[in-house]
Amino acid sequence: MILRADHVAGAAFIVFGLLVIAISGSLPFGTLSSPGAGFMPRILSVLMMLFGATLMLRARESRAFATLTWTDAKHAAMVVLITALAVAGFEWLGFVTTNVLMMFALLVIIERRGVMPAAAYSLGVVIVTYVLFVYVLKTPLETGPLGF
Amino acid sequence: METTLHSLLLGFSVAFEPHNAWYAFLGCLVGTLVGVLPGIGPLAGISILLPVTFGLNATQAIIMLAGIYYGSQYGGSTTSILMRIPGEASSVMTCIDGYAMAQKGRAGAALCIAAVGSWIGGTFGVLVLTLVAPPLATIAIKFGPPEYTALLVLGLIFLAYMSSTSLIRTLLMASLGLMLGMIGIDNLTGDFRYSFNLAELGDGIGIVPVAVGLFGLGEILATPSADAVKNVMAPKLRELLPTRQEWREAAMPITRGTLLGFIIGIIPGSAHIISSFLSYALERRLSRSPEQFGKGAVAGVAGPETANNAASTGAFVPLLALGIPTSPITAVLIGALMIHGVSVGPTLVNEHPDVFWGFVASMYVGNIMLLALNLPLVSLFVTVLRIPYAYLYPMIIMFCIIGVYETNNSIIDVWIMLIMGVLGYALRKFEFDPAPLVLGLVIAPILEQSLRQSLIMSNGDYFIFLSRPISLGLFAVSALLLTLAAISFVLKKRDWRSTLAEAEAGEVET
Repeated sequence: MILRADHVAGAAFIVFGLLVIAISGSLPFGTLSSPGAGFMPRILSVLMMLFGATLMLRARESRAFATLTWTDAKHAAMVVLITALAVAGFEWLGFVTTNVLMMFALLVIIERRGVMPAAAYSLGVVIVTYVLFVYVLKTPLETGPLGF
Repeated sequence: METTLHSLLLGFSVAFEPHNAWYAFLGCLVGTLVGVLPGIGPLAGISILLPVTFGLNATQAIIMLAGIYYGSQYGGSTTSILMRIPGEASSVMTCIDGYAMAQKGRAGAALCIAAVGSWIGGTFGVLVLTLVAPPLATIAIKFGPPEYTALLVLGLIFLAYMSSTSLIRTLLMASLGLMLGMIGIDNLTGDFRYSFNLAELGDGIGIVPVAVGLFGLGEILATPSADAVKNVMAPKLRELLPTRQEWREAAMPITRGTLLGFIIGIIPGSAHIISSFLSYALERRLSRSPEQFGKGAVAGVAGPETANNAASTGAFVPLLALGIPTSPITAVLIGALMIHGVSVGPTLVNEHPDVFWGFVASMYVGNIMLLALNLPLVSLFVTVLRIPYAYLYPMIIMFCIIGVYETNNSIIDVWIMLIMGVLGYALRKFEFDPAPLVLGLVIAPILEQSLRQSLIMSNGDYFIFLSRPISLGLFAVSALLLTLAAISFVLKKRDWRSTLAEAEAGEVET
């Protein structure tokens, strides 16, 4: 049997449904006349597992899992990693520092742009955005140890 | 009728206030840019710019956000016609004949017809909205929990039925959205659900991080810069005005597109996308020379462009009259109004007439602004596409972070956005449309509350849904749609939805 994309997707939804049921143990289901906090999540979990199973049964209509292209996965993983580092430092370093570093890293590491153009672009865009939000739109942005 | 006219006059007095008119203009301008740029659709655009409206009052905020929404429908046509790149999903059909017209040297005429058709469709939509929404709101006040439950279930099933992906895939996405909507404090019992000791999750997962993650970041992750647009054609606008023959050919498609688009707009789902597709199919079927379609038929531009704008406006009817979002975009607009302390629903027209009528009147004004903006400034908008994507997407990520963080000043929301971005990337790989997920997330609290209240009212008897005429009627329509879907599945019948799926797949290849 060929493993198809919908086999994997359907199985993922079934596992997710089971997981939700497993962690819903402490939530009361209640009764039909007085449904509890666990009523709807359990119904949805069962529905999701049913739909997931149907997807698996009809998987023949989908592409073979091996034919899915992941050529863009490296780019995606790098973007996620750099953005995650920026998010981690956002409250600590503030808006300006974090975003200048993030944009610079995206341009230099992923896009292989020159250091000077990347630095100028990152700094310029972030400062213009900062001025626009803080002084024109009066929307305060997160500040770092240096006060911006 | 007289009351409506008086109220509309009140609306115009609100819309013409200099500040409000300025925000309508700003919304239209940004919306056009959002429509022009591939990879940033109206949903991500509105979500990212939500924090910009925090300093505004509710009327200004909704006027600006709605301007972005319908502005993006106008903007999407520009790149479709000049470059065969749909800046927005609803412009896919315009690519076919719009680009063919451009190759024949009729780019200016195609742009003009698209802009005029969009204006007529949008204005007609607002006109009907003006007349229909207030009486519909009066009826909706009589809705109880069983009727709301039935309406929301119908909405989800309609969405699944109309979807170009399979019914099961759409229902799976909607279920996942509903499940995410369960996170947070249970409104009826006060129990914490799936909050993992994070106080920020007590209020549940917000729509903004989910929408921005799935549609903004997810799109960026799936678009390596090497694959992005490199060559941008200079638009030739020497012949901006269509000939008399072209106007004649456009007249009926614009009329039909207006009516078709508005009706489809009221129905839940990605109405503006479906309406443009159906309008194209209708025009080809009615045409005396169907062989011209694909080779620069005027009707192939006029119909779909008019229909998608009429549908965008039609989507506001259930939003303003019933408080029910029929698409992820209207769901974000509801969220925006709630942030400003305005609860959307049948009482909106009476409790906040300035917001309701100001918003309606601003759409008349906005449509004229868009007409004036789109034709003379088309070259300027296209210039934006000359910015290399490698420089553009880091800026979009920065705006995603600002947009999400500023909504609640919560870094947890930004992490949720990042997770949703990865989920959005994976969903695209497995050919799932994430839009029903967002819709499910938004309606989850309303659906759960109305279902549980109905059961409490009836002492646990499900017959309550069948004993009330409105809910019975709505459930009957749901059953009918499911039966139709089952028949089509059993007979393996190809219908317009499978053709739409193929057209959307073509968009990816473009």
